[in-house]
Amino acid sequence: MRKRQAATGLLCGVLAAGMLACNAQADGSELKGPGNVTIKRLGYNVAFDPNADVMADVIKDTTGYDAEYYVLPAENTDEKLVMEVAGGADYDCIQVSPNQFQILMSQGALLGLNDLLDTYGQDIKNGMSEDTWRAASDSDGTIYGIPYKYPYDQEVQGFMACRWDLMQAAGITEIPKTIDEFHDCLVKLKDYYGDQYIIFSGPYLSGSEGNGTWVVPESLACAFGIYSDWMVDEDGSVYYMTEADGFKDMVEFLSKCNEEGLIDPDWVVNSASTVCEKFSGGKSIITSINRNGLGTTVPAMLETLGISMDDLNYIGALKGSDGTCKFMKTEAVNQYTVILKSSENAADVVNWINLKEQNQLFINIGEEGVHFNYAEDGSIEPINPIFADERGNSYWYIDSTNEEEFKKEWPARVRKSEAQWAGFEAVTIKANEETPEIFVDNPFAFKPATEKYSKYNTALSNSLNDFILQIISGTKSYDDLETFQSDFEAKGGEEVRTELQDWYQSFYGNK
Amino acid sequence: MHKKIKLSKSNLLLKVVAYVVMGLLAAMAILPCLHIISKAFSRGADVTAGNVVFWPKGFQLETVWYVLTKTPFLNALKNSLIVTIGGTAISMFTTITTAYPLSKPSFQGRKVFTLLYVISMVFFGGMIPAYMVVRTLGLIDTYAACILPFAIVQFNMFIVKNYFEGLPEEVEESAWLDGAGDIRTLTRIVCPMSTPVLATVSLLYAITYWNNYFHAMMYTKSAGMQTMQVYLYNIINNSQEFAENLASGSGFMANITSEGLVAATVTLSIIPIVLLYPFVARFMVQGITVGSVKG
Repeated sequence: MRKRQAATGLLCGVLAAGMLACNAQADGSELKGPGNVTIKRLGYNVAFDPNADVMADVIKDTTGYDAEYYVLPAENTDEKLVMEVAGGADYDCIQVSPNQFQILMSQGALLGLNDLLDTYGQDIKNGMSEDTWRAASDSDGTIYGIPYKYPYDQEVQGFMACRWDLMQAAGITEIPKTIDEFHDCLVKLKDYYGDQYIIFSGPYLSGSEGNGTWVVPESLACAFGIYSDWMVDEDGSVYYMTEADGFKDMVEFLSKCNEEGLIDPDWVVNSASTVCEKFSGGKSIITSINRNGLGTTVPAMLETLGISMDDLNYIGALKGSDGTCKFMKTEAVNQYTVILKSSENAADVVNWINLKEQNQLFINIGEEGVHFNYAEDGSIEPINPIFADERGNSYWYIDSTNEEEFKKEWPARVRKSEAQWAGFEAVTIKANEETPEIFVDNPFAFKPATEKYSKYNTALSNSLNDFILQIISGTKSYDDLETFQSDFEAKGGEEVRTELQDWYQSFYGNK
Repeated sequence: MHKKIKLSKSNLLLKVVAYVVMGLLAAMAILPCLHIISKAFSRGADVTAGNVVFWPKGFQLETVWYVLTKTPFLNALKNSLIVTIGGTAISMFTTITTAYPLSKPSFQGRKVFTLLYVISMVFFGGMIPAYMVVRTLGLIDTYAACILPFAIVQFNMFIVKNYFEGLPEEVEESAWLDGAGDIRTLTRIVCPMSTPVLATVSLLYAITYWNNYFHAMMYTKSAGMQTMQVYLYNIINNSQEFAENLASGSGFMANITSEGLVAATVTLSIIPIVLLYPFVARFMVQGITVGSVKG
């Protein structure tokens, strides 16, 4: 932790020194126009060469602008970015994470975009909500980046996949919808199969931060009113997961499942890949998973286990015993495109991004009849393999979107994989149609990266996960919460709470 | 007339224990490699289902073929070979030409120069100044940026210097008497007599260049300049996205999975080192002691 703090401090120091040395602001406010300038764009790491991908030509043909693309490394990303910027990098625009955005903005490396957006970026401006723009602005209203919001506001990202053929054989006729039905289902499976199968495997640790690190499946936690590690109550007070009313019931439920042999005995040591292996190898009946996990496991299961797609089913966000459920919306800004002060082509960059947004459907999804068709309900059905071949990597080239339009277009990207789409349709689309009330706002969806949160939250999450796993495995009980509480305070929990509370107050209080 | 030496019970027991321990250690090193290699050549579905242990299941070459032909593997290999071969040659030249004068007691200012090397060995200017220097020299995104920062590694130079100091003075004196100058003495007398240390140090340099991720990552930016280590990191981090795109595209190959892709890339990337190792293994062993004892 100290090492990380020191690294962040050092990066800021380097950047500050670099900015002092190269503080000459270039005048890029004059539009040179397509054909007269080559835009240099730096983006996050991808395995393909963005200059060689078909998308580079699509964008050039559509906008008329020549562009050169560069990628950041997969590791040491922040160090490399800061080094380049401090060293006077000649990129015109850079695609950055919220944390990187905060570092660059706080050190004065970014160009204010208000005037340029007013002149050349009307489509960009009109395409995003006020909240999205506020996430890219400072307190004076100066916009320092073009934000990109996750395109699907209400997605059940973490859910459960199950072997429907085995469940039916055990006498289960309906997919459980509540936590009690889920428990009954696990008991029935255990009674029928004994130790032949792992009844419920998990956790599916899909990310390095956020809900992807949870050792409790999201679709199960939601039944206990838990939707995030940091939540906000009706009075606007920020509270931690352990302080939630349902926390005790949730951990005791999992502990009980463990005692009854209903969950994977390796739950405390499982990783995403071992969970996938157990499911695709036919060792588990129900597994915690997400869309990407389905894309990996389902094709393998169809081949090795000789089952069909009909033999699989999906369990979405479960409701609690009282019929309530809280599942956090996926709405959040997760990337920005920024223009450095040193860019000599700032006006052209904004114009280029604006032209891309004007052709959003063609650039990101393709041409009707060639890359996709409209279904009867108006949704977009991709035509594979040409969609995957010619638009498979379009996500990397996005700088801005018309949020409302992109919300309708984006599911086509999920639909290109039959396995992913089956899960998405069964849990996300179904939840949006039948139980939209389960989705609650992410209170920190528009929060930029902040100091204390960046510094302490990973350690807090690890500590929370350890505590939950200890309860599940029976080495601790809920009564040991005090031990966790002291650990929570020692690891900066209160400082994070104060910071989040202040931000929440300033963002929503001033609205 | 071989006479069988009979081992005492305790010696026999010791021998058995030694074999068992060494066998276990060897297994610990070999089995993970075998697992990765098996995955690289196994059917995709078996890789994902965790059915592959130490032998390929459903042998296939699609993944390896894909890595070789559809990813920048060969370009990364070319870059790494250029950096490793070119870098080792440059480093050996700078190391020998520095170590030789510093090994001569008659060299004026020898102590000062030696001290400067020691200081620069202990105190490093830092990542940022180094980046600034490379950038100011216009070396960003060139092979030189991956080579010049290692043009001389002080530790290696001192190994060579110590070895040179241990060579008999008389041989060089006789060469001078026969009319050889410094360059001729160095190239025709000193270097041939120092083959073990030069081979060892070359190997150390080659390993440094081959394994170097950080400088290649920091000083290059275009996809065409990726070295093998940078390419490996990228593939490992993006393998899932790679496999997903393939699954829906016209290039669909059922055997290519995220884990299989990583395994195939890692397997291919170790081949150059595996091929080289038998020829340099003895120098690796010598390298532990060479140059450490004077005289």
